Amino acid sequence: MEDGRHQTPELLRMDRITKSFGPLLADDAVTLDVRVGEIHALLGENGAGKSTLMKVLYGLHQPDSGEIWLDGRQITIGSPHEAVAHGIGMVHQQFMLVPNLTATENVILGMRAERRPMLDLAAARKRLVELAREYDLDVDPDAPVWQMSLGGQQRLEILKALFRGARLLVLDEPTAVLAPSEVGGLFRIMRQLASEGRGIVFISHKLSEVTEVSDHVTVLRLGRVTGTLPTREATAHTLATMMVGREISLARTTAPVVGTDTVLEISGVHCVTDRGTPGLTGVDLVVRKGEILGIAGVDGNGQRELVECIAGLRPVTAGTILVEGRPPSSALREPGLLGLVPEDRYEQGLIGDFDVSENLVLRAYQRPPYSTNGFLRWGRIRDNATQRIAAFDIRCPGPLAPVRSLSGGNQQKVVIARETQDDPALIVASQPTRGLDVGAVESVLNLLRQQRDRGAAVVFVSTELSEVLALSDRVVVMHKGEVMGEVPPDPAALGRIGEMMMGRSLESIDAGAVA
Amino acid sequence: MAIGRGYSLRQMLRTAAYRAVTPVLSVFLAFLVSAAIIIAVGTDPIVAFGSMLNGAFGSQTALATTGVRMTPILFTGLAVAVSFRAGIFNVGAEGQLYLGAAFGAAVALLPIGLPAFIHIPLALIAGFIGGAAWAFVPGYLRAYRGVSEVVTTLMLNFVAIQLVSYLVDPLVGPIGERGAAYAQSAVIDPAAKLPILLRGTSLHAGLILGLALAVALWILIGYTRLGFRMRMLGANPIAARFAGVKSAREIMTVMLLSGGIAGLAGAVEVIGLRYRLFDHFSPGYGYDGIAVALLANSNPLGVILSSGFFAALRAGANSMQQATGIETSVVLIIQALTILFLIFRPLRDWIGSRAGRPPRLAQDSLIDAA
Repeated sequence: MEDGRHQTPELLRMDRITKSFGPLLADDAVTLDVRVGEIHALLGENGAGKSTLMKVLYGLHQPDSGEIWLDGRQITIGSPHEAVAHGIGMVHQQFMLVPNLTATENVILGMRAERRPMLDLAAARKRLVELAREYDLDVDPDAPVWQMSLGGQQRLEILKALFRGARLLVLDEPTAVLAPSEVGGLFRIMRQLASEGRGIVFISHKLSEVTEVSDHVTVLRLGRVTGTLPTREATAHTLATMMVGREISLARTTAPVVGTDTVLEISGVHCVTDRGTPGLTGVDLVVRKGEILGIAGVDGNGQRELVECIAGLRPVTAGTILVEGRPPSSALREPGLLGLVPEDRYEQGLIGDFDVSENLVLRAYQRPPYSTNGFLRWGRIRDNATQRIAAFDIRCPGPLAPVRSLSGGNQQKVVIARETQDDPALIVASQPTRGLDVGAVESVLNLLRQQRDRGAAVVFVSTELSEVLALSDRVVVMHKGEVMGEVPPDPAALGRIGEMMMGRSLESIDAGAVA
Repeated sequence: MAIGRGYSLRQMLRTAAYRAVTPVLSVFLAFLVSAAIIIAVGTDPIVAFGSMLNGAFGSQTALATTGVRMTPILFTGLAVAVSFRAGIFNVGAEGQLYLGAAFGAAVALLPIGLPAFIHIPLALIAGFIGGAAWAFVPGYLRAYRGVSEVVTTLMLNFVAIQLVSYLVDPLVGPIGERGAAYAQSAVIDPAAKLPILLRGTSLHAGLILGLALAVALWILIGYTRLGFRMRMLGANPIAARFAGVKSAREIMTVMLLSGGIAGLAGAVEVIGLRYRLFDHFSPGYGYDGIAVALLANSNPLGVILSSGFFAALRAGANSMQQATGIETSVVLIIQALTILFLIFRPLRDWIGSRAGRPPRLAQDSLIDAA
């Protein structure tokens, strides 16, 4: 090619890697080559085979066939230890940190100390501080990890990899946990690391980020490479088509609708967080039948507490919440009242070791036809799963597959399939698209639209403004446990939404505009 | 009716065989290490293990002895397994067993003149209630106050043992036999004795009860709403809460059930084997129950096998000592090594890498937490 890429030495070449799990072909002759000094984006929907490929690279899976070449030499990687020894560093989506240990302790964890059996924490701390300064990565070496923000933990993970001498750094969906303002900082670090001759593999499904930061893109779909090209030759449109195999648009197609009867009424609600600090401080909201209320805001401003209060999972210290005129304490145990899509689908919404059919009846197992006279009717439970798998296009080997083996998007479909089963009057979806790819985001948003059109009242909590605007009929913004104001889902309101997210009330913004 | 929860028989057998790999390998390795120890003291391990096998299974008497040894640890194993499945670490089976024995004995001692088919169930129910009552306080503290059940159940074991010693004290004990040389109660009412299964041996109907209970619990866990909630709680308590499960109530239920089963172990031991309540009568059946449940991966049907295995070790130990002079305590080494290999994570990871997927134990989270 004429972009001069072939003059740069090859750092990594994964050649025709194939890996299957039983009947499921996760990667089918996938080839990925990363050059020295390159940010290489690996783009694909959930279940496209990105994570499996990276697990092969990190020695967590052995490929069925295919070769791995590093610096022109063929290698085998039997374990993460060997991967680290080869200079491969990985920042997983779920951080591999011990919450009780400090940053320094986490960095040396699993490494061989020079003066065994004694630890040399002081030297490690010194090197960590130097590294942090060199790369302008703000990490307190003495702070325990549980006190760090997700962004801070991510910086620590990167430092951990650098500390171990990583020349090839894999970042698995690194922006998923970051506030929009933190993403720029991450990209700066990525560019700096690449400019020093490291190779970066950037796994993502967000087209805008891929086009912004990467030099080269490889797109995967259903376990196969659908294209690999320099980023500047790619447009968001072509990438999306390669990724999904069809045209995608998140833009709203219909005008906002106005709901009818009140389904959810929240007045003057206060509550506290898990740490005992104020969580909600006087929230008033009304959600009506047949409308979607979008709740925007930076993560951690009371959205989680609000959702848990509505679901009756968190005690309200003042004020009232009424779902269909009743307090929500047993809302989760009554059929047809509340569908809850929790923000952490794997921890809160699913039981990983349970199979798909069991996860689909986590709430309905105690009712006919799934159980009668106290006994479960497994035949009905399996049949239900077969139907739901087909109806929601859940990609899995079958009803008996453990749900932990599914990709994120398919796990979310299991949750939504379950929570919409009894046509509940109210649906609360908290960050339902987090970590999902474009295709899955589209189908999740469409499922919520269908619920609204059926007549459900929908609460949609999201930090993705584009999605809030695309889906909601009304938008409120939360900041520090309060509702700052309500605006229509109009791109023209974006500025005001942004200001409200930073803590200005709608009145003061409008007053400022007048003055 | 979907037998096997929708799995085919072949799938079930395959799953069962797969799950058996880790326990069987652990047992094998434990014997291997013990063989090295036996060689080190100058004996042929083949001879030692052969005499052990003979002592456990070689004759009708040997089999009966194994069955008698198996009965209490079958019950306590089931008690612990039930709690493990719900993510609760009930290590108080020992104390609950003592309380069950005391309650069972109190009822069995009454000369109420009722026929055996009424008196025996009454004694068993009393035993269940005694064990459940002893589990109530730890259960309440865990469910509603968040106090670790590990600490409370463990500490109450010692209280229970002392309580029974007081109850049967020859001088002041309410049910102690006055003037007896040992701290013991009087002999129980003949109508409350469990029938002997094999004439000339001590093998009693308690074993049948235990086997039936294992099957019943297997059905409970796999085929009922309560069992489903228990498994939810054990596998992901957070998701269980988000699915509307009232965790506190379920924890109470499971603790009472677990404690009650351990109580049955005590009551059965009194009305089936000893016919009196003695102080310090349990050589640690409650703690053996933990090992039994671990080895069975908390599967009630597996508990039948693992309790049988531990019982055979104990039953065979004496013949081994007679034949070779090796201390019976070697079986304790085998038992301990089995559990150590079982919870040794690298071994399971290795098996997992061979089988293509990690073997998960129901009590993994408990082991990791410990």
